Amino acid sequence: MTDSSEHIVDELAAYALGALETGEHARVDEHVATCASCASRLAEYRGLAGALPLALAPITPPSDLWDAIRSEARQRRPRVRMRSAIGTRWLRVAPWVAAAAVAAWLVTWNVRLQSELAQYAQGPQVEKLARRPARLVILSGAAQSQASARIFAAVDGQSGHMAISGLPRLAAERVYQLWFLPKAGPPLTAATFTVDADGRAWVVIKVPADLDDTRSLIVTEEAAPGNRAPTGPSLLEAREWR
Amino acid sequence: MSIEPVADPELLGRMRLGDESALEALYVRYGGLVYTLARRIVGDPELAREVVQDTFLRSWDGRDTYDPERGRVPWWLMGIARNRAIDLLRSRSHQARLRERAAPPPEISTTHPRDPADTVVARRTVLDALRELSDGQRRAIELAYYGGLTQTEIANELGEPLGTIKSRTREAMERLRKVLGPLIQSAGGRTS
Repeated sequence: MTDSSEHIVDELAAYALGALETGEHARVDEHVATCASCASRLAEYRGLAGALPLALAPITPPSDLWDAIRSEARQRRPRVRMRSAIGTRWLRVAPWVAAAAVAAWLVTWNVRLQSELAQYAQGPQVEKLARRPARLVILSGAAQSQASARIFAAVDGQSGHMAISGLPRLAAERVYQLWFLPKAGPPLTAATFTVDADGRAWVVIKVPADLDDTRSLIVTEEAAPGNRAPTGPSLLEAREWR
Repeated sequence: MSIEPVADPELLGRMRLGDESALEALYVRYGGLVYTLARRIVGDPELAREVVQDTFLRSWDGRDTYDPERGRVPWWLMGIARNRAIDLLRSRSHQARLRERAAPPPEISTTHPRDPADTVVARRTVLDALRELSDGQRRAIELAYYGGLTQTEIANELGEPLGTIKSRTREAMERLRKVLGPLIQSAGGRTS
């Protein structure tokens, strides 16, 4: 390794500075792929190159530049567009199947919800929830395709309930965590929970942000008792609700 | 705007979840440095604006592809910005490149009123390290990094043998590495 590193060090410096001749990149790429010391040196050189602008006299960007970036970034949500496209196509192909499935699910859900709510009949929050109109959020599996969850959130309160199924049981030091991702601001935690042997849970949640000001809800796996911000991949997601 | 006291990798993690506020925090942290770099390369404020916008949108689109093994977040961003700026420079007439070749000696950095203390130290450290290079070494690095010239083009520009330019560049980077190594390793979180 040492010999080959000595042979290519000139090219590493030029590579990091973007000064290699056309056609030389492939040879360097091939070398660093098999030479740990040169790969490490290249990473250092890239860091050095990236730090060079610190020596320049700072220039403040235009004040409206962030607004332009944010506006453009909001139009780039490929996962949402992809999901919408798939959903639309499915509905177009078999609308009666979709309608029947939704209707059957709503009936089942309402029956189940009433049954589940009955278990908490003494709780004032649940009584209020059962009497008042509420909003329904359906989370579907992202990394856990077999999992799903329903959130029944009180319109006028800060509370709600979530029923989950299809998530694997966790080790003792791990928990699932429900997050609200506001349109502006950092993620907000709504609940931490574990599931039973059948992969189910019924969780009382707090609703940390108005759903109208929320762009998505996700469930992640975190270290117990929960984290300040999500660190694990999104297992369940919801981006639309009614 | 809010600045979360979080490390860059956590911001990238939140960006992967589609958290726009993490992108904003990244912009607050590094937008000024990216804009300064872009202005140095392309000169024109409107083109520099385009570079900054493109850099942060690429970081947003490519948030799943960032590889910490290849360097820390700010150096990743600077790499995107530098390449985009050079692309713009090359797409314009030769006048811009000729202007770069006639560029004045390295600018003397002044601290920005809003710079945190660690950034002031980082700026001073990089500036001191560049001052320790010979004029020839510094010029070779600047023509490469800011001018977008290949080593052959630098040799032609300076009227020096190609081998001299190669060794001069390598020696310069090695000297910088010895002085700035600790900064490069530690400044991934908040340097702006």
